[in-house]
Amino acid sequence: MISTEAFKKHLRTLFLALQLLQKLFKQLSTGPHRKNETLSAIENIGIGSLPIISIATGFTGLVMTSEIAWHMDFALSNVSMIPGFTGQFVLRELGIAVPAMLIVSKVGASMTAELASMRITEQLDAFKLLKIDVVSYHIFPRWVACTISTICLTLISITITLMIAMFTAVTKYHFNSQEYLNTLAQFINSMDLICAITKATVFGMIIPPIACAYGLKCEGGAQGVGQATTDAVVTATLAVIIIDFILTAFFSALL
Amino acid sequence: MSIRFQNVYKAFAEKQILDGVSFQVNAGEILFILGKSGMGKSVTLKHIIGVLEPDQGKIFVDEFEVSSMHTYDQKDELTLVRQRCGMVFQHPALLDSLTNFENVAFGLRTPQYRKKIGRTLTEEEINAIVLKTIKLVHVNEDTLPLKPYEVSYGVQKRISMARTLAPGPEYLLFDEPTTGLDPLSTSSINKLIFELSRKLKVTSIIVSHDMACALSIADQILFLDQGKVLLCAPPKEVIHSTIPLVQDFFKETMSLLPPNWSLKA
Amino acid sequence: MNKEPNLTLKIATEKTFTQCKDAIFNQLHEFGGAWIFLTKILRTFKKTSGHRDAIIQQIAEVSTRTMSTVIFAGLFVGAILVLQFDVMLRRFDAQSLLGGLNTSATIREIGPLIISFLLAGKIGAFTTAELANMRVTEQIDAIESLGTNSIQYLIIPRFIAIILSSVVLLAIGLSVSVFGAIIVAQIFSGINIYQYISSIPRFAGGWTLFEGLVRSILFSTVVATISTFKGYTATGGARGVGKAVTQAAIYINVYIVITNFISSSILEWIHDLLYFSISIVERIFL
Repeated sequence: MISTEAFKKHLRTLFLALQLLQKLFKQLSTGPHRKNETLSAIENIGIGSLPIISIATGFTGLVMTSEIAWHMDFALSNVSMIPGFTGQFVLRELGIAVPAMLIVSKVGASMTAELASMRITEQLDAFKLLKIDVVSYHIFPRWVACTISTICLTLISITITLMIAMFTAVTKYHFNSQEYLNTLAQFINSMDLICAITKATVFGMIIPPIACAYGLKCEGGAQGVGQATTDAVVTATLAVIIIDFILTAFFSALL
Repeated sequence: MSIRFQNVYKAFAEKQILDGVSFQVNAGEILFILGKSGMGKSVTLKHIIGVLEPDQGKIFVDEFEVSSMHTYDQKDELTLVRQRCGMVFQHPALLDSLTNFENVAFGLRTPQYRKKIGRTLTEEEINAIVLKTIKLVHVNEDTLPLKPYEVSYGVQKRISMARTLAPGPEYLLFDEPTTGLDPLSTSSINKLIFELSRKLKVTSIIVSHDMACALSIADQILFLDQGKVLLCAPPKEVIHSTIPLVQDFFKETMSLLPPNWSLKA
Repeated sequence: MNKEPNLTLKIATEKTFTQCKDAIFNQLHEFGGAWIFLTKILRTFKKTSGHRDAIIQQIAEVSTRTMSTVIFAGLFVGAILVLQFDVMLRRFDAQSLLGGLNTSATIREIGPLIISFLLAGKIGAFTTAELANMRVTEQIDAIESLGTNSIQYLIIPRFIAIILSSVVLLAIGLSVSVFGAIIVAQIFSGINIYQYISSIPRFAGGWTLFEGLVRSILFSTVVATISTFKGYTATGGARGVGKAVTQAAIYINVYIVITNFISSSILEWIHDLLYFSISIVERIFL
């Protein structure tokens, strides 16, 4: 399935990603913080992904919440629990995992493609000659921007999905919207919000180093760029799924 | 038997690449298309085999009007045209998944080639044609079982030329055949083009930057600038042309040539 | 002085408006292009024959490349969902229903969606990269110039192979995720394995499997169409390959989500119609 050579290459790239993460944290504490680049990266990453992520999470929410509502209705034959169930599911899982995966394929993939084509057109070598540190100059602003944007986009998509869940409950199960919100408030506490923000922060922090590590390790022409981008998307998606599992297990033990 | 362009216009996203191009190549002639980079030289070639479609104007290959055949759609006429034309691309464009041998034999295994000769070639016949063709382009037999990326760039270019020659086209279109090659390979490829057109009566259209080569083997030289034809004339007239760009090209070339150089007979 | 802010506002509004208009037109352009490409593939497929060997070769390539990733992801998707449902059901003391609820939700909705996101990255991006590389190095033009139909030679084997193997891979991924859920339910929530399994038939039956299958086929068609389209129409060197892959990854995900919405609406409608007609039949004959 996977040859040992390819597996070793993946491991080396992941190790590079860890090293990048360490460097980025160091720069976060010591500076320079490159505020201007970070702000323009936020505009590029955050605002640029906003429409696509709102549309996609909106459609997902529409399907998923009605599905969860139907299941719960079927399982407990009790409609009054629907707000709690859908709200909890949106806050804990749906509103976080779906935008994270979309950010992987929108932001992560373009980061890898950008760095990879910089590498094969020898721009990175030019940076080295000019004594410019690509991590500090290029990756750090995008990392900060991606983390901030992921948190904001997650909160936005949670809001959208919750509104859609309410819409589903109102139209399909004849809830009053006031009633829905009251029931929801009983089920949701600040712990859910903390869980959502923690997950979003972690996802936003791990996506750029993985994407950039694959971009920096890119080899061999146009084909290499494509291969690096593919590998980055898959590895980052898997990383999101695995970390999601770990955090879910952690929080469900906590609750 | 000719290739004709009549007032061809083509634009890519607002940028006019071809702006009313007209010319004609007759059977057995060698036409060089010269010009600065990005002036639509490769685009002109791709129009002939119908990979690109002109916005306006007509292109004829023999009796077929290529410009009216829809791009990418499997039309029998377009296939006929493509069978007559062989194109050598700027990059070797060899299929990575096949060996060098299979790459050369690619054109011999297509259903269109089968239709042309009226039967299926046996493996021995394909083998013989492949060996004959690679001898023509001076490639060693040892490289045939290898994959394209395992041989040098120069060999890749020759193998891609062999792939084009194998089905026996009547027109040859070269897109910068000698760019990125060492001087020895360059001169041997130029000789090859000259031999093909004289011995096999193959009509060639060559897109190039190489004025010296153009002056030594071309029958006609065509200058493209800003999408327009500046000049289309035999080498002798080109030397005495008063158009500034042509003069610049010629001066720069002359400064590189040995002093005793003269136009071919 | 008073006029200037108004003017700036007006310019900004106009700029935003033009940007939105351009974005919408771009999307429609992309969608139309993909749709025309799909019809072209289908027309070429009808007209030509002899694809079997190439398709089998592609299936082998796609599935060996993707199998381990899908199994890995399936395991974790099942695990995440079972943990979430466990927390939710614990409040109602309804943990005995966990097995059925989780299995049904995984097979019908969430499993296909998340595993398709992964397939979009793995199969979709890889196919786009491969074809885009062939396009920018003029390999596709070379195939055309030798008188071979490039759609027949390159696209159709990949298209069919992606659809067939994605369906199989999704089925494998979903089975693994059901299996992973059982293990996690055992370890983390201490639910009896028999209790878990015995509650499955109450929720998941033939209709659930049918729905999962329909979704798998639709999603894999989306993956196949967009990835081949984006790769086949790439332009502009190494940067162009990167751009094509990035766009393919995100467009596949968005189209999958929209397809998910449309298909679930239609499937719900068919489901209701089916049960309505069954009840009528029962009323007439019993």
